[in-house]
Amino acid sequence: MPGPQAQSAEDHLFREYDTGSFFDEMFEAPGQPRPYYARVFQELGGMALSQFEELRELADFSFLLQGITFTVYSDGRGTERLFPFDLVPRIVPHSEWDRIERGLAQRVRALNLFLQDVYGPQRILKDRIVPRSLVYSCRHFCRQMIGVDVPRGIYTHIAGIDLVRDSRTGEYLVLEDNVRTPSGISYVLENRQVMTRTLPRAFQLHEVLPIDHYPAELCQILRMISPRGGEHPVMVLLTPGIHNSAYFEHTFLAQQMGIELVEGRDLVVDCDIVYMKTIHGLTRVDVIYRRIDDDFLDPLAFRPDSILGIPGLMGAYRAGNVALANAVGNGVADDKAIYAYAPAFIRYYLGEDPVLSNVETYLGSNPEHLCYILEHLPELVAKAVGESGGYGMLIGPAASHAAIDEFRERLCANPRNYIAQPVIALSRCPSLDSRTGRMAGRHIDLRPYCLFDGEKVIIVPGGLTRVALKPGSLVVNSSQGGGSKDTWVLRGET
Amino acid sequence: MMLSRIADSLFWMARYMERAEDTARILDVNYHMMIEESPHAIRMRWDPLVAITGEQERFAALCAQATPRNVFEFLAFSPENPSSIVQCITSVRENARTIRDRISRELWEDINSLYHEVTRFNPEEEMAVGPHRFCNAIRFGSHSFHGVADDTLPHDEGWNFLQAGRALERAEMTARIVDVEYHKLVEAPASSDTAGTHQWMAVLKSVAAYEFYRRQYHVRIEPEKVAELLVLHAQHPRSIRFNIAAIQQSLRAISGSGPEAYADEAERLTGKLHDSLMYDRIEDIFARGLHAFLSDVQKSCRSIGEHIARAYFYYAVVA
Repeated sequence: MPGPQAQSAEDHLFREYDTGSFFDEMFEAPGQPRPYYARVFQELGGMALSQFEELRELADFSFLLQGITFTVYSDGRGTERLFPFDLVPRIVPHSEWDRIERGLAQRVRALNLFLQDVYGPQRILKDRIVPRSLVYSCRHFCRQMIGVDVPRGIYTHIAGIDLVRDSRTGEYLVLEDNVRTPSGISYVLENRQVMTRTLPRAFQLHEVLPIDHYPAELCQILRMISPRGGEHPVMVLLTPGIHNSAYFEHTFLAQQMGIELVEGRDLVVDCDIVYMKTIHGLTRVDVIYRRIDDDFLDPLAFRPDSILGIPGLMGAYRAGNVALANAVGNGVADDKAIYAYAPAFIRYYLGEDPVLSNVETYLGSNPEHLCYILEHLPELVAKAVGESGGYGMLIGPAASHAAIDEFRERLCANPRNYIAQPVIALSRCPSLDSRTGRMAGRHIDLRPYCLFDGEKVIIVPGGLTRVALKPGSLVVNSSQGGGSKDTWVLRGET
Repeated sequence: MMLSRIADSLFWMARYMERAEDTARILDVNYHMMIEESPHAIRMRWDPLVAITGEQERFAALCAQATPRNVFEFLAFSPENPSSIVQCITSVRENARTIRDRISRELWEDINSLYHEVTRFNPEEEMAVGPHRFCNAIRFGSHSFHGVADDTLPHDEGWNFLQAGRALERAEMTARIVDVEYHKLVEAPASSDTAGTHQWMAVLKSVAAYEFYRRQYHVRIEPEKVAELLVLHAQHPRSIRFNIAAIQQSLRAISGSGPEAYADEAERLTGKLHDSLMYDRIEDIFARGLHAFLSDVQKSCRSIGEHIARAYFYYAVVA
């Protein structure tokens, strides 16, 4: 097999690759791959540019054929676009994963305990670990959930925890918790499938841990929380419908788990029992894996204008006749201001030190922090606490004076609604620059998916590696021009 | 266990696919017959094509007169015409998308690639080269759809809704083809026998029954015989009788009712129509008037569709 050295300088994918001043996932020094990347470097580096381009087209075609696209309506015709997929895998050696896994398990357990507590005895508020006002002012805190007995005490059946690697220390940090309806797992599973077809040889060089048991594990948890028990509860996945940007994922998961994909109009509640409308009459539903936000679940309990939801669903849920995953009201745990207290939850509920640290966070609700934020806004990343998907965010160093001034006004008007963090120099991973046809360092993050069955946390090895494909960009969200990569957790160290 | 919404989507997915295929067949065959004819005949023949698809009003609102070009565009590409081939294929895919967890991956990928193929055609280019290439792609796409569906879906209730949708659309389409062609003949008798023969050959070809007719009757093309084949034949897959029988079979499979009973109004109407197609002779039908008979068939088809929806798809609000 010809190595990169055998290629002439002109057609080498990694020619002029610059690791910059960042932690590079692939190279420990310019031209020097890390031990666990050596074989992939050999494989890709030995490839002609045209050959790599062919593989990329093959991968794209595979996504197009399966309809893994999203629709852009800006041109009036509704053009379908692919989520950009980059063929260079993100590789995590086993020891590194081991630490991540321990940190995530601990964090998910603590978040679940926090939710049990905050909708139950509220010990953590009485002990003044978290300010009561911060919890009660959270937009996603749900009073209707106080005192509700959720099946098996599970709130966070599925959690997506966003991690970044800080270039200064090389350490992984938790950037964000997502415990409402985190999405993206279907891309993890599809990326892997496309990758094994596109670069089969690279897989033979390593022992990559499999991930395709995710749907079965999730299905097992859904089965466990059925209020009626029994071997064959009726389980459904509730989707907002075909126009939702995660619709592909909803169909994918329903199909993989062999459960019914339903829309609000397929369900009806009568006497606190949920039914679905079948061709032979009404059938009782036991478990709903809902991918609709709290606000839209039930027009009687929440937004009255919701046409996606099911009138009476909250009544059935509170009566214990149907289980929901995730629980209602979880947004209080992934609020970006509450996030700052997650390490405190771990200490308070588990009596352990956090394995994974938070990013240093300044709260608008804290007067001292607020002063600091206002003084240092041009150096900070500021975020609205209840938003996701990269919306409501200001990246100080990249923002114009006008944008900073405007943000400052919004911040002063409602300080509780904002937090700020220092800019983290995210690690980079080589990714194809479509303009030059060569590799360039692009910033990445990692979202592992954690399942919780009330006792143990199950994490499929890896997760979704998102990559900011625009040169220099730190924003990895797909809505902001981000793409994704396959993530390999190795059985060993190389 | 099958959600009503899913049954509804399967039923309509098949109807739209059939509508696309039938429109493509009609367009293709008539266009090629037309280019062998005089300009006068061309004007005579393009309006009825629109009539067969039941979209005369919409067409009239868009175009002053029927030219080969605007009829082609209207039937094949027009976004203004919900029954245009491209719109039908888009609807097939939209329906498939809402139930893609319930159909096989193969079927979804087949539909998805047909959609991408169809939307990649450039209308200007196709109108320059004629409809054959485009219509062929639709025909292949429809055959592939049914082949993949038969081979990869379980033959359960859902599959039966798919069969019923296709058969209902096809029965209605065949009724309209025969009706419109006959009407045309009565209104403006063909200038010569040859022209008449030509016209009926086109009808037979558009429903893939030309060779079969030759083998069956061994005579020159006679309008009555063509009507007999397309209305009453028990085995030709595009005859009205064949398709009504297929609907009956599917509905019985879904409801579980035997030959001695019917479960709902849709089954009763289907059975009644099937009996008349089985026991009436073509002479009886002509004696009563073919147009009246075919109008009744079309009316029954619409009723059957409504009653299928009422029995299986719609739910009254639970009090």
